Amino acid sequence: MSDDTFSQLVDQYYPSLYRFALSLARSEADACDLAQQTFYVWAKKGHALREAAKVKSWLFTTLYREFLRGRRRGERMTALDALPENQLEEATLEPETVVSMDGGVVMAALREVDEIYRAPLTLFYLEDLSYLEIAEALDVPAGTVMSRLSRGKAQLRALLASRSITSSSTVVPFQNPNNKASHG
Amino acid sequence: MDNQEAKFILKAYRPGGADAGNAVFCAALAQAQRDPDLHAWFDREQARDKAVAAKLKAVPIPAGLRESILAGGKMSTARRSWWQQPAWLALAASVAILVSAAVTWQSRARAARLDLNQLTAQILDDAAHGERHGSHGQSANQLVAYLSQPTTKLALPFPLDLGRLKSDGCRTLNVAGHEVMEVCFERNGSEFHLYVMARPSSRDLPNGPQFTAQNGIHSVMWSGDHHLYVMASEKGETALRALL
Repeated sequence: MSDDTFSQLVDQYYPSLYRFALSLARSEADACDLAQQTFYVWAKKGHALREAAKVKSWLFTTLYREFLRGRRRGERMTALDALPENQLEEATLEPETVVSMDGGVVMAALREVDEIYRAPLTLFYLEDLSYLEIAEALDVPAGTVMSRLSRGKAQLRALLASRSITSSSTVVPFQNPNNKASHG
Repeated sequence: MDNQEAKFILKAYRPGGADAGNAVFCAALAQAQRDPDLHAWFDREQARDKAVAAKLKAVPIPAGLRESILAGGKMSTARRSWWQQPAWLALAASVAILVSAAVTWQSRARAARLDLNQLTAQILDDAAHGERHGSHGQSANQLVAYLSQPTTKLALPFPLDLGRLKSDGCRTLNVAGHEVMEVCFERNGSEFHLYVMARPSSRDLPNGPQFTAQNGIHSVMWSGDHHLYVMASEKGETALRALL
């Protein structure tokens, strides 16, 4: 592959691959490593891919596999998974609330969603992939993707709702007038 | 279709209408047109999805990442050693074909004699490093549902069609020339990997369940009239024994 072709490919996909990696990894540095590793694998093996239309799917699948390879088995968070479905569904979050939020806060909430739901959710939001394309990229059945999107959205909504409550409640520090008196 | 089902489907509908032509969504969309409550819910869901997507797409990219990727890519493709040149690669490929033909001939002869220790070791390694795999196709889904039932005893005969599993795209390993299918399932919150193959003609097949452990992964092997089974889990021998 020529340098130009490689550069074009990087320019086209590295921002979205990085954001996908950021949703999965623990830190920005890990996300950078994952994105870089993905293109490294492409440089080594990408020529074997015959269908140009599948480049995007190949890159996301590779990044996800590199992530799975790198993380220790059984590390996924399950705290939210333990919450009953109806409790998650009850969380209300108006679209306007999301609009008023900082992008970093939304990404931080996404990173707290259980890993099993996070990957399909990220591809849905960041890449506008259909549930069938997500199924292909993550190698899971289409019905499973629908189920994970439903549950993942409920978790994300609950997390964003709790953040909006935290940020909107004003904390008034308790002031004891006596403390102002000078000592000694 | 009730509203709960419609909501489940519509949650996978991308904001922006890219899925408008997909037949899977048609019935749910029609339901939303008829039901004002569902319609209002769908509007809010789409607006929220749009807002979340916009926020995530605005997350900044670290400075220098692009340059690092480009530099790394060049290093991995630019410098080719003499042995990576096409002529040498062609020669190496010819030699590899000759060698692999000889190895294939030998391994075919060996395949009839399955080494059960090798099978167990490879499966334990696969279970330790592999991820949980989603089931594929109707036959695999039915099998996963059956295995996940709390009352299912795996040591008792159960319906299993390896041919259908394979044609449905079930994950298949190759162990010394033998095809081994893998199905993952959960029981009581624990994850299990069931590996199945046609019963080999080995005289060493265990009479009863045979337990092994390696690097924190436990396995049990047993055989039925037509199949040989190995089940692996990190939950220990007691958990495996409870499923038999």
